Amino acid sequence: MPRFIHIASKDFRTLVRDKAAFLIMLGMPLVLIFILGSALGGVGESDTVDIPVGIVSVDTGDQGEQFAEAIADVEELQSVFNIELSDDVDDVRAKVERGDLTAALVIPAGFSDALAAGDPVELEVLQDPGAPLTAGIWAGVARAAAANLSGGQIVRMTVEGMRTEADIIEVPTGNQPTGPADMAFGAVKVTQLDVEPDKQVAMIDYYAAGQTGMFLLFGAMFGAFGFVKERREQTLARMLATPATKFDIVAGKSLGIFAVAACQFIVLYLGTRYLFGVDWGPTPGGIMLVGLAEGFAATGLAMTLSALGRTERAIGGIGPTVIMLFAALGGSMIPVETMPSWMAPLQSISPVYWAVGAFLDLMRGEAFSIILQPVAVLFGIGAVLFGFGLWRLRYE
Amino acid sequence: MADIVTVTGLVKSFGDLTAVDHVSFSIAEGETFGLLGPNGAGKTTTISMISCLLEPTEGTIVVDGHSSHKEQTAVKRTLGVVPQEIALYPSLSAAENLAFWGRMYGLSGADLKKAVDEALDLAGLAERSKERVEKYSGGMKRRINIAAGILHRPKVLLMDEPTVGIDPQSRNHILETVKELNASGMTVLYTSHYMEEVEYLCDRIAIMDHGKIIAMGTLNELRDVVGGMDIVAVTVAGVSDAVVSAVEAIPGVDSVNRTEGTMEVLTPSSGSILGQLVATLESEGSHVTSVTVTEPNLESVFLHLTGKSLRD
Repeated sequence: MPRFIHIASKDFRTLVRDKAAFLIMLGMPLVLIFILGSALGGVGESDTVDIPVGIVSVDTGDQGEQFAEAIADVEELQSVFNIELSDDVDDVRAKVERGDLTAALVIPAGFSDALAAGDPVELEVLQDPGAPLTAGIWAGVARAAAANLSGGQIVRMTVEGMRTEADIIEVPTGNQPTGPADMAFGAVKVTQLDVEPDKQVAMIDYYAAGQTGMFLLFGAMFGAFGFVKERREQTLARMLATPATKFDIVAGKSLGIFAVAACQFIVLYLGTRYLFGVDWGPTPGGIMLVGLAEGFAATGLAMTLSALGRTERAIGGIGPTVIMLFAALGGSMIPVETMPSWMAPLQSISPVYWAVGAFLDLMRGEAFSIILQPVAVLFGIGAVLFGFGLWRLRYE
Repeated sequence: MADIVTVTGLVKSFGDLTAVDHVSFSIAEGETFGLLGPNGAGKTTTISMISCLLEPTEGTIVVDGHSSHKEQTAVKRTLGVVPQEIALYPSLSAAENLAFWGRMYGLSGADLKKAVDEALDLAGLAERSKERVEKYSGGMKRRINIAAGILHRPKVLLMDEPTVGIDPQSRNHILETVKELNASGMTVLYTSHYMEEVEYLCDRIAIMDHGKIIAMGTLNELRDVVGGMDIVAVTVAGVSDAVVSAVEAIPGVDSVNRTEGTMEVLTPSSGSILGQLVATLESEGSHVTSVTVTEPNLESVFLHLTGKSLRD
């Protein structure tokens, strides 16, 4: 077996036995994903209070307004939601886009007339993709109200001037909900719409992608620590005094770092998936490819850090700074869409940006081909960092 | 015996500093050769060049017929290196460390297992081979450090101050190990600043100071350099420059070296100067608490040649 395999195997073993590295590379990301995902909209959200939502009625008849007020007056809903009533759909849509409202129910024009004529009525729920769970709950409220419309208080209200209960409530047997985003209840149909269609990822999913993207780079830091430690403790010199070549040493150490990054990624992928129910999307092969590509970039970064840092203390200063910068630019902390446009050129040098973007695309169900460019860029960044590190690396 | 290591005109400069200055020596096959000198004398730099870790500024090194410049891999296969630092992986066990270093020398399978077992036996640590090295005492680490250098049964073993900072028991174990290895036919290049170790182990000795070899030969040959002079070591308080001058003026005193609380006087006739030496010190206001006379040894050689102690 080639010597570099033995060196990689030794590095893998020593790093796995390093409790501090183990904690930072696996423990911290899992904890952060849970905390951020929970706090910002992923888990346990139904227990929160005062969630801002809206009901906008553009119906010119009475029924739309009555329907909106009937929902807003429900005490149980008032204890959870801060419900804003409006008749300006553009204003409400803008508030949802800004995140001022997490979701809004739209009662369309002609609602009263449609009810009077017995025609199907379509209600629309606008939702903030950044808070899909909250929006989902509000859509559920709309569905419940629609069900009531078919069999409850609204119907009774409408009976007086318009139709009989039997005329309206008739819900054909077997006409059951077909999915969360498109549910039919007899005459009334509720359609749940994203403000930006096809781009919704739960917060817990978002932070799983973001934190994984960031913490894979911390593996690079520990890899660089290993290199400098070998230099300091003279094991590197001892290795150079054996028939092992510099190629063996560089290849072995790089392979070791890459193997650690790959294992770290697999553990984070499986851990977030089975512990927190993170939905990594329907293309696990693509997710793995992105993870490995970022692992390669992390290996390149490790070589660069090894070359730049003379001591572990120096790497302990440079490493986290570079990684946090990459992470911030790359969307590990906040979505890149919220950053100013002048940051775009800076974002493109961050491996985290490409990795997180590719993860999120796959989570949204995009086709495998969409990750080919980010994967290529990640390998390119890795190759550049690796080349630079190799050029500047000191063995003594 | 033919020479297995030949060093000729070796120079290593780091900028303006010349760490090794035109050093030449040769080591016969089966010999234990000592490099003795204080810290900073150039011993480690010399060993680093022989083991191909440093490129010489000038000069040539030939090991078992291979040039260290042109045939590094062949030279490295011939050598076993025991560095001054404990160059092991603390989180790996002794057996794992030895297996790793054995693999670096190309050992595998049954040969590797046999080599590891033998090295553990030699280190006296077979019973604790599965413990992580970080749990070992300093002496045990040193023994594994040596074991890692001999796994592949090298023709030449380079040992750079292998007993630094360890307890007497482990030190004795290491010295006996070196004797054993040499008796089995291994050529040893041993560096130290402990003259007792070099005197005990080495067939021939080169004394280094400031990057140069200042004397070389067998122990007896080197003792002859000082012509049978003794070292009179005086433990004394309150030694001023004037006191040193007064002692140097005593007839029969060859040289004087002053360190913290002691004074070493090199003399061919210790018996005749002792009385005058103590009287001079007392009359100059110094307080003598003990006087020890040592027969000629490497310390006196070094003192004679450099005017300072090996441990200065």
